[in-house]
Amino acid sequence: MRRNQGCHQSDHRVARRQFLAGAAGGVVGLSLPGSLAAAEKIKGQHKRVLQVYLQGGVSQLESWDPKPGTEFGGPFRAIPTSVPGMHISELLPYTAQYMHLLSIVRSINLKINDHQQGRLFMEKGRRAGEFPYVGSIASKYLAPPNSELPGYIHISTRGLNDSTAAFLGAQHSQLKFEGVKPPKNLAVPQGLDQTADARRIQLRQQFNQQFRRGRSKSLTESFDASFEQAAKLMGRKSFFEKAPDGKDLERYGKHDFGRNCLLARALLENDATCVKVTHHGYDSHAENFNFHLEQLGEFDKTFAMLLSDLHERGLLESTLVMVYSEFGRTPKINVRYGRDHWGTAWSIALGGCGIQPGAIIGKTNDKGTAVAEREVDAGHLFHTYLQALGIDSTNDHDIAGRSIPIGDPTAQPIKELLA
Amino acid sequence: MNVKQPATADAIAAQKPLVESTLIEPAKTHQVAQFKHSVPLTTCRVDPTGRYVVAGAQDLDIQVWNLQTSAQRTLKGHTSWVRSFDFSKDGNTLYSACWGGDIKVWNMADASPEPTMTIAAHKGSARWVRLSPDQTKLATCGNDLLVKVWNIADGKLLQTFAGHERHVYAVDFHPDGQQLVSQDLMGFIKIWDLQTGKQKRGIHASLMTGYDKKFAADMGGARDLQFSPDGSELASAGITNVVNSFGGIQDPIIMLFDWNTGKETAQLKPDKAFQGIAWGVRYHPDGFLIGAGAERTGKGELWFHKPGEKEFFHTLKLPRAARGLDLLADGRHLVVPHSDGSVCTYRMTAKAKVFGT
Repeated sequence: MRRNQGCHQSDHRVARRQFLAGAAGGVVGLSLPGSLAAAEKIKGQHKRVLQVYLQGGVSQLESWDPKPGTEFGGPFRAIPTSVPGMHISELLPYTAQYMHLLSIVRSINLKINDHQQGRLFMEKGRRAGEFPYVGSIASKYLAPPNSELPGYIHISTRGLNDSTAAFLGAQHSQLKFEGVKPPKNLAVPQGLDQTADARRIQLRQQFNQQFRRGRSKSLTESFDASFEQAAKLMGRKSFFEKAPDGKDLERYGKHDFGRNCLLARALLENDATCVKVTHHGYDSHAENFNFHLEQLGEFDKTFAMLLSDLHERGLLESTLVMVYSEFGRTPKINVRYGRDHWGTAWSIALGGCGIQPGAIIGKTNDKGTAVAEREVDAGHLFHTYLQALGIDSTNDHDIAGRSIPIGDPTAQPIKELLA
Repeated sequence: MNVKQPATADAIAAQKPLVESTLIEPAKTHQVAQFKHSVPLTTCRVDPTGRYVVAGAQDLDIQVWNLQTSAQRTLKGHTSWVRSFDFSKDGNTLYSACWGGDIKVWNMADASPEPTMTIAAHKGSARWVRLSPDQTKLATCGNDLLVKVWNIADGKLLQTFAGHERHVYAVDFHPDGQQLVSQDLMGFIKIWDLQTGKQKRGIHASLMTGYDKKFAADMGGARDLQFSPDGSELASAGITNVVNSFGGIQDPIIMLFDWNTGKETAQLKPDKAFQGIAWGVRYHPDGFLIGAGAERTGKGELWFHKPGEKEFFHTLKLPRAARGLDLLADGRHLVVPHSDGSVCTYRMTAKAKVFGT
């Protein structure tokens, strides 16, 4: 397979709808109170998803599938984990202590080496077509009817071109927060009392109704959804403005990813259904090893603390945890000490709700250049995520009388990974 | 001839019966030998007595080539890639630092050297190792943000210098033996006083680092550090003008600093078309400076600079990336580790002529 050595501008463009959603909803910041009582409340209610997306393609050799001392193994060593016989890269010493809560899939072959195509396949479980992301499906089928938070929240520091809900409707679209910055325009403008605000909303709805006449509902749907999401967040404004606890910041790290993960924890504790946190900076076509030292050095402790907290607060058994990318990185090290795009033989980690912990699914050959056992692709993973959450992925979406298979009918879940 | 030649045999015995020029002319630098390993090399160092060159590679071993006979030996013992070397003055003891954080000591007089000492020097990579001018101490630095000084006799830790906030990329002793210099990812150069055990002063080479907004990561730091022989100047090789560090799009740079004032005296850059990293810098005993670099597409260059000038006076284009640089004591030869697994020897004189022509 030809290696893709570059990224396209379109991979880093912000979608218009996403921008509108982000701008309208503003950006939620800071910590929510994470009481055990809140956790207990959620525990019996619904299942959730935590997606940790390592954008750009984390190297499997520097993370979940190390091959030290081999031709393409790189400079880092493997370390034992809390699961006997399971080794991961020495760049993940904190995560290694919690691997009994996670499992690794080491045999993914997407046959894709392109950022956008890889990301879409990993999120939709289909190689092509307008299908919803895992997060939008979670929003539709798992979110409580009266949830006070949007069903699918993405915390990131940079725009990626994602249109996530497809035919599920804009209310299940990803709402993106730009890190933990205080929300813009979250408060009612100064000088505007409640009555005036209500009239303002009525006026907007009136305009919408006029505009909608003779037009497709979807033309106004996304705007309505944005305002609904914004309204939900405005209702929780005071809740969001509390500063993060100093001890939490010490544990998670004061960097953006640490703060973003603290927000993710708080959101999950307070009725959010799917929270995605993106950690950028893994597209290491040059200086792969120095960059993975830096990036995984930031990811490792923060993620381990988040996983530990979810476990200790009793949330992990109802929260599916996904640590994934759009692909892995080439075993071959290029002349710039880089690794290029590689969807042919790479890994992800899963844990929590519905996932058997401590397992290793599949394997790559000795050099890491090909899948040796139990080859799977994103179609298989997609079924696995949903079935772990209790959603029958072989069933159909019922969209205005149309039946659309939820998962790719040609793929199956990784049954041995399901608890 | 402007450098006294030691009695050591030349790097390439095969040149006989050619007539060698001995006049050092950097503009006439040319390759005279190549030693090959099967794996891309990462660094190299020449024995001060000119007997052999050692190289680290993208594997766990150290390759040793005899410069006279080309015989190759392999030293085994590290558990990760070797990224820095230094030799004792007599060339009999080799010190190596690896990504795993260890420093190993090798007796090169042994037929099959094995580590005589291992120092677990740093948590995370040990990026650099240098021997003190009086040959009694080692300085190391690493990803635990520390600079450490060790007693070479027994491997005991003598001093720890804390203060860098990001990975420390290189360290060296000032020729006076009383000061250490170290430089980190963010370009911060710290000067440490060995007597007081404290930071004496600092220089911020802010040009030598860059934040890639697109990928939310920093890139920078010294890829090589070298003092001028009299200690009046410090040269640091690395990168500048980070545009897309994940794609290797940035410019190489060698910065020079006046040691007494700490002020920058030169920013040396190759042609703009050469994007990549400066991996090596050496002061020639005759006073000129030599740099080595790797271009992002895999080519290399050697650069030559005269004191006081703003630009390199000569550039030698190489077909393969240069990942370091060292200078033989005879002053006529450079040794460069390459990304294709070869160590090449370059001679800084006119090419030899066949006897009688």
